[in-house]
Amino acid sequence: MTIETFNQEFESNLGALRSYLLRITASVRDAEDLAQDTYIRAAGKLDGFRGESSLRTWIFTIASNLAKDNLRVRKRWTENITDITRAAALSDQQFFQEAMQIRMISPQGQYEAREHIAFCFTCISKSLPLEQQLCIFLKEVYEFRVAEIATILGATEAMVKYYLHAGRSKMIGIFDGRCALINKEGVCHQCSELNGIFNPQQNTQEELMKIDLVREAEKGGKEHLFDLRMQILREIDPFTSKAAELQLHHLEHNRQVMEKYSQEEAG
Amino acid sequence: MTTIAVGTPAGKASTVKSAFSRETSVSISIDADPTVIWALLTNAADYPRWNSTVISIEGRIAMGEMIRLKSALDPKRIFKLKVKELETGKKLVWGDAMGQRVYTLIKNPGGGVTFSMREKIGGPLFPLFAKMIPPFDDSFDQFAADLKEEAETMNSKK
Repeated sequence: MTIETFNQEFESNLGALRSYLLRITASVRDAEDLAQDTYIRAAGKLDGFRGESSLRTWIFTIASNLAKDNLRVRKRWTENITDITRAAALSDQQFFQEAMQIRMISPQGQYEAREHIAFCFTCISKSLPLEQQLCIFLKEVYEFRVAEIATILGATEAMVKYYLHAGRSKMIGIFDGRCALINKEGVCHQCSELNGIFNPQQNTQEELMKIDLVREAEKGGKEHLFDLRMQILREIDPFTSKAAELQLHHLEHNRQVMEKYSQEEAG
Repeated sequence: MTTIAVGTPAGKASTVKSAFSRETSVSISIDADPTVIWALLTNAADYPRWNSTVISIEGRIAMGEMIRLKSALDPKRIFKLKVKELETGKKLVWGDAMGQRVYTLIKNPGGGVTFSMREKIGGPLFPLFAKMIPPFDDSFDQFAADLKEEAETMNSKK
């Protein structure tokens, strides 16, 4: 493969790669750095690419290895991350001032509950063991097959199936217990709360009912509702969406809060 | 050396009692990849999801580590156990001063794995406490059945 062909192929996969790296690191800076490192590493090893997997799989393999090195040294987040970061945001005037400014002036500062659902999944998925988190994103969002994920992660297909099964079950359980969009007893109403703050003129309930996940919630079917949640993630590029700047600002806030929280927990 | 209860139906626990000890064991054949079974046995936080005999396990299941196990058999107690042996993919032992539990995996010649679990409790004070320790047989049956179901479920996934 020539470097020109590689560059074209890399560029066509760059959007997915950056969003994957953002979703697993929850850090814009890390995602950008890792995407750049992936390009440098892949371009440098181009002679070694034998075409045994697709170039997309190969690029994601390099990126995943780099990301694993980056993430292994960091503590995983907790399931109640939205409670912890909500409490921190409420006591941080500057956070809301910045967010309101983005909301008012940025072309990527709109607030939509769908975008927040995707953002929320990114945050909560960081409570899963790393391998489970990577498998969930690779399969459910970036639509790799089990065999391809096994190649990307250097695991057996059986282990990939285990990671997927365990990760899915865990996330379904967390959302079923927490998310008020799918469970009236759910303790987290953050997407509705934020809609009230950023879109005060809207009827929040009407807006929420535009989302398949919410409309279908009463019918139940936890697996189905999880699939609808994954569909939302597939449809959103967190770097280019019309809510990107607002959500990335929020994500950076959550990352800083959780890193501080992890340090305090470690004593 | 691995001891498998002879003459006991697969997946059905048996108990051997003596004046100063009690040993319960169970074996079952599981049609699954051994690495998956091993992952299930060594991922502490994941236990309550698939194993109905365990309420929680805190800590890391790694050589020399202490874990805190809450069992459905006696939910009010927290067992503080040390991981005493760990041979990846083959053998796991944890226990305390009173006894220890041994898990073993042996690959079957025709595929799949034989999972065995035994727990021996005993010592000089055992006769004093014997009546306070509930029988393990049903819990062992359930543990083996849960492990088999969870591991074999993975085979049917695409």
